[in-house]
Amino acid sequence: MDLKTFTSPNGKKRPIFISLLTLFTLLLSIAFLVFGILLFFSIVTFPVNKWVALFAGMILSFGFFLLSKGFFTLQNWARTCLLSILIVILIGILILQIFDFSSAVFAGKEVLSLGEIFSNFGKFLLKTILHATAPGIIFFFLYKFDDVFSETPKQRHDFDRIIRNFLMGTALSAILIVILIFFFTFQESELAITEIGLKKLLTGTIWRPGAIIGTENAQFGLVPMVIGSIYSTLGAILIGLPLSLGTAILLAEIAPDFVRNIFRTSIELLSGIPSVVYGLFGMVVVAPMIRQIPVEGNTTGFGILNASIILSIMILPTITNITEDAIRAVPNSYREASYALGATHWQTIKDVVLPAANSGILAAVILGISRALGETMALIMVIGNSIAIPKPINENPLSVIFATARTLTGNIAVEINYAAGVHRSALFFTGVLLFVFLLLINRLANRIMRGNKTK
Amino acid sequence: MNQPLTKQRELIRLKKTSREFKNKRRRFSQTIAFAIIWTLGITAIALLIWIIGYVFIKGFPTINLEFLTTRPAGGFDGEGGISTTIVTTIYLVVFTIILAAPLGIGAAIYFIEYANEIKNRNRFAAWLIKTARTGVEILAGVPSIIFGLFGFAVFVSYMKLGFSLLSAGLSGACLVLPVIIRTTEEALLAVPESYREGSLGLGATKWQTVTGVVLPAALPGIVTGIVLSVGRIISETAIFWVTLGGSYRLPQNLMSSGRSLALHVYMLATETRAFDKAMGTSAILIVIIMILNLAINVSSKYFQKRLIGK
Repeated sequence: MDLKTFTSPNGKKRPIFISLLTLFTLLLSIAFLVFGILLFFSIVTFPVNKWVALFAGMILSFGFFLLSKGFFTLQNWARTCLLSILIVILIGILILQIFDFSSAVFAGKEVLSLGEIFSNFGKFLLKTILHATAPGIIFFFLYKFDDVFSETPKQRHDFDRIIRNFLMGTALSAILIVILIFFFTFQESELAITEIGLKKLLTGTIWRPGAIIGTENAQFGLVPMVIGSIYSTLGAILIGLPLSLGTAILLAEIAPDFVRNIFRTSIELLSGIPSVVYGLFGMVVVAPMIRQIPVEGNTTGFGILNASIILSIMILPTITNITEDAIRAVPNSYREASYALGATHWQTIKDVVLPAANSGILAAVILGISRALGETMALIMVIGNSIAIPKPINENPLSVIFATARTLTGNIAVEINYAAGVHRSALFFTGVLLFVFLLLINRLANRIMRGNKTK
Repeated sequence: MNQPLTKQRELIRLKKTSREFKNKRRRFSQTIAFAIIWTLGITAIALLIWIIGYVFIKGFPTINLEFLTTRPAGGFDGEGGISTTIVTTIYLVVFTIILAAPLGIGAAIYFIEYANEIKNRNRFAAWLIKTARTGVEILAGVPSIIFGLFGFAVFVSYMKLGFSLLSAGLSGACLVLPVIIRTTEEALLAVPESYREGSLGLGATKWQTVTGVVLPAALPGIVTGIVLSVGRIISETAIFWVTLGGSYRLPQNLMSSGRSLALHVYMLATETRAFDKAMGTSAILIVIIMILNLAINVSSKYFQKRLIGK
């Protein structure tokens, strides 16, 4: 063999390690081929289809053969490939060991004592190191011998193109997910549309899944949930809009800097609090308070009023943030012109700034509505989840706010885990309804906001 | 002789008082309006303080070492602590981020670094990129229960993964993908163009520029996005309610069911009487969210400082 093949194109001497690696990958390639053939002729048994085994064996064998060839000619791509494979293997080992370790620690009712945890941790470390030794050593040396390998400009260019295509794939993942959501929810709700009919689903006023699915008594009308969603959202906007509008004006126009910083941090926190915490607050604090309101027939404290109060707090950060941004986006020259005409600060806000920001405020309200309609768990906890159309609890029609109800989202979450057949399909239809509606109003809000920016 | 002058003076005096009166009224209405606005703003903050204060005051007394180190026992009384739910939450967060971060960061890199040059070359690619951006926008507005429904249909029943960490992690990754894409995009946009030009001028390829120059400069911004999604996963309930199951045992592998902290709060509040334990768990959740918010603030301040150059 020519001596040239034993030195790298960079003029460095080929380390013995790389020669070993070439041999190793070649052996792996042969091993995979032999194993695949053995599996195919059922000499070795393994719970896998024999054709799959043959194909997998051949493909893996071919891959490792290429890798071996790459190492022999000291190509950089071979190094990159093996490095990524090793990283995946190392992460896999780590994950398995962590599962093992924590399963041991949390096996009993209580955690093990501190000493036992430490001894387990020692075992975990030892095992991880033992398992990771071989791939780790290969990884280390490969990483170290980076100057032996070389690549041509063409290869580098090709690599760049592969990366670009790969990145394009990741960029398309979002739209792929949207398409999958569409496809699967529509497909699952097909049964409901054919069996029950769109008209009955959309205009039926009774939701009665029935104990056994497919009984004649079962009825799937979504009107009660639609009304429940509308009432609770309406209430949330009625309570939440003044609060968030006031807060936004305060933050954007009036408050001094230190107050603004405090408020901003608080509102950030408010948007981060888990929805179940709001739900819990509604159950434990708001419900007893509503129960005390002296209205005839008001007994539970759960219902539309409670849901509206909790929702209004939850949509406050959304509306406040977007409104504040909209107010800030109003050019300062508007304000200056108004001051120059002798207007006071409040007159400027009322007559100049707010009208200029009104489309942003509209978008904020729409996004608030969207957030309120999509909220699930907190609502289940406070709205009472009755499946009838909410009715006033006494002669006064306004007392409907004390009635229990159920929202579209709640309907899905409460029943999906045990539903089957038409029932399940009807729940998916509920999801489709919600999805399409939210899609439309979100697009509307986005369009308004974008129009605002270009203006 | 003097008559017109006094008349004039009288007129001026009248005008003055009327202006003063007007000014007074305007000032008065401003005072009232500002008072209302301050009240509204303070009410909003007071609500926050009330909620957090209530949860802390009711929740902290139940938190002790035993509460943290025993596993939930199920049953109507909601006995036991939260040890396994903490570990499950950590599993879930790590798994979801491992899935979502490469996808999201890759997508953002493509949108910011590669999309422009391709747009001019190929009309179909331009259309595809526009559609992909719309996809991100749509995904950001989808409520979590729809993601849950999707995960339930695809991962739990169609792919037969069952109620498992795997299903929950995959659905959660879909949920946080738009968050990571958007924050990474912002971070990449904030890196000055001169950095890229300098690197390309030295003969580096596009990919070398991205990994060697742009990503390190944008790293704190990207970390902000990841921390944001960690918070999202920790506080999310609906999606995991329909994909993770609700077993109180510790998941033995990726295929077993579990219960995250937020899910545990929900189950305690609706299926048991143990409101004090639900409050304790909520308090822990809020503390975690507070720490994450702090981390985001610190990281974004550091990011700005670094890019502006002190």
